[in-house]
Amino acid sequence: MHTPTIAEAAALIAARKISPVELTQTCLDRIAALNDTLHAFIVVTPERALEQARAAEVRMMKGEGRGRLDGIPIAHKDIYQTRGIATTAHSKMLKGWVPETDAVTVRSLAEAGTVMLGKLATHEFAFGGPSFDLPWPPARNPWNPDHFTSGSSSGTGAAVAAGLILGGTGSDTGGSIRGPAALCGIAGIKPTYGLCPRTGILPLAYSLDHAGPMAWTVEDCALLLQDMAGFDPSDPGSIDRPVPDFTARLGQSVKGLRIGVPRHWHETDSPVADSVQKGIDDALAIWQAQGAEIVEVVLPSLFEYQAANFVILTSEAWALHEPFMRTRFNDYGELLRDRMIMGSLMSSADYVQALRRRRELCQLTAAATRDIDILVTAGAPSEAPRIDDMPKWTNLKNPGFTNPFNITGWPAMCVCSGYGAGGLPVAIQIAAKPFQEPLLFQVADAFEKATPHRARRPELATAPASVSKGLADAGLSLSPADMAGVAEVARELAAGAAAMRDRLGYAQEPAAAFHLPMGG
Amino acid sequence: MARTSRQDFEALVRRAGVTLSEAQLATIHEGWSYVEPMLDRIRTHGRDRAAEPAHVFRPEIYVTETK
Repeated sequence: MHTPTIAEAAALIAARKISPVELTQTCLDRIAALNDTLHAFIVVTPERALEQARAAEVRMMKGEGRGRLDGIPIAHKDIYQTRGIATTAHSKMLKGWVPETDAVTVRSLAEAGTVMLGKLATHEFAFGGPSFDLPWPPARNPWNPDHFTSGSSSGTGAAVAAGLILGGTGSDTGGSIRGPAALCGIAGIKPTYGLCPRTGILPLAYSLDHAGPMAWTVEDCALLLQDMAGFDPSDPGSIDRPVPDFTARLGQSVKGLRIGVPRHWHETDSPVADSVQKGIDDALAIWQAQGAEIVEVVLPSLFEYQAANFVILTSEAWALHEPFMRTRFNDYGELLRDRMIMGSLMSSADYVQALRRRRELCQLTAAATRDIDILVTAGAPSEAPRIDDMPKWTNLKNPGFTNPFNITGWPAMCVCSGYGAGGLPVAIQIAAKPFQEPLLFQVADAFEKATPHRARRPELATAPASVSKGLADAGLSLSPADMAGVAEVARELAAGAAAMRDRLGYAQEPAAAFHLPMGG
Repeated sequence: MARTSRQDFEALVRRAGVTLSEAQLATIHEGWSYVEPMLDRIRTHGRDRAAEPAHVFRPEIYVTETK
């Protein structure tokens, strides 16, 4: 079975052409075959998943389906609390902790009928990574397992791209949904600050944390967000306002929209690879041809947003982790502890100055975009680097394209805009003003539908699910690179076998036949 | 190289209440050199004394919460 999108799967389930149990089992088979290579899952919960899938199937048969997410296999980043299932934050600090309650968003997605397959890898406490000194290895990029997924929602990015799940949850404090979406070639949205409840999600930095969905397409993100969004009285950042229909504007024309491009971000502040620039240029050409107006805008430098984001993030994160940092510093992974300690070395005045700067940046961004509907820039500066070639202080040296929208709280999403010289995906980032998610989805969907990028999956993901298992059963242990090669060959062999099978009639005999009498 | 001397940096770490090895002090001191320019950016803007932070205290939220 090829991996359907959530929208496709929902239609197939509704038409009873596929059962939630069959779909779930297919995903579980893929996880069994590929997770040893990708490390996308920290824990898989097959019994629970199949039980939920059977319940969804019963609802379908009775005509009591709960909507388009009913029976859809998903998984949660392992900072989302799950009742009765360990929630680790990918850290030794929480190993073995089993929450007694679900995160609000875990509960709402379960009530929508989703089937939870397990918990997904993250950078430790959604901050430090890729780390090789934690109890679980870091997730690897399905397009090439020698390469980085970005983070911190690294497991979700890898699992969606490889077709292990149809969608999943992430969190984003400086770009942790949009980064892995960009490098893994999927779609991921950081919604407006306060749109999605955060109760039950382990915090990193209270005033910058956002929850949001990740999936293969823009439409799938809209479907997931529909059941994640809503007012949460126990989350002080939550906004009490009606949740709109996030799919309402999909397919509508972008004619007349004004799309702003802060070119200095991706051309001067942090120059991007040619393939990334091409993706931006392609998007602008597509929207312009559809009737949108492209406008250049000048915004504060990326370095300004980065500085405010880093000081606020590390100050708040340090306050949260301080008691444990002081007594168990070396029980955290090296990357997390060496970055987070920076928050302890700043002064209280630095934190307040960063908050004052944040207000100025919000005002400057709003003023510069008064006549703009949408902003477009890069999702990441290049395709994914090798996972073993990540200099420790890269994030501090180079400003991220995602920070501005954590600082402003504006909704922003990354979508695949093509492939780089190394064959890995690149992405554009599209942002809208607060609570304009329907418009954001409309514009992103218009780009996505006008390009061929969604037709291509990682070759690893299109290989027969039995390949890895067969190798393991044969006692063979291959490197990720060798595994990718074998999977590619196996996929071609499987396609050839299927073609032969289709050509043969029922009664056609093999070339070699049993023949009596025996010679001799 | 960080503007903050190694001696001053060690004092900051002691104030934070964390005990680091020599190797950890050296690598984090190197990382601090990338943080210092960020602090310069947020500290020096000649902003008005009355310019408020982005985070504001809204007492009515807590009244609503306890209903």
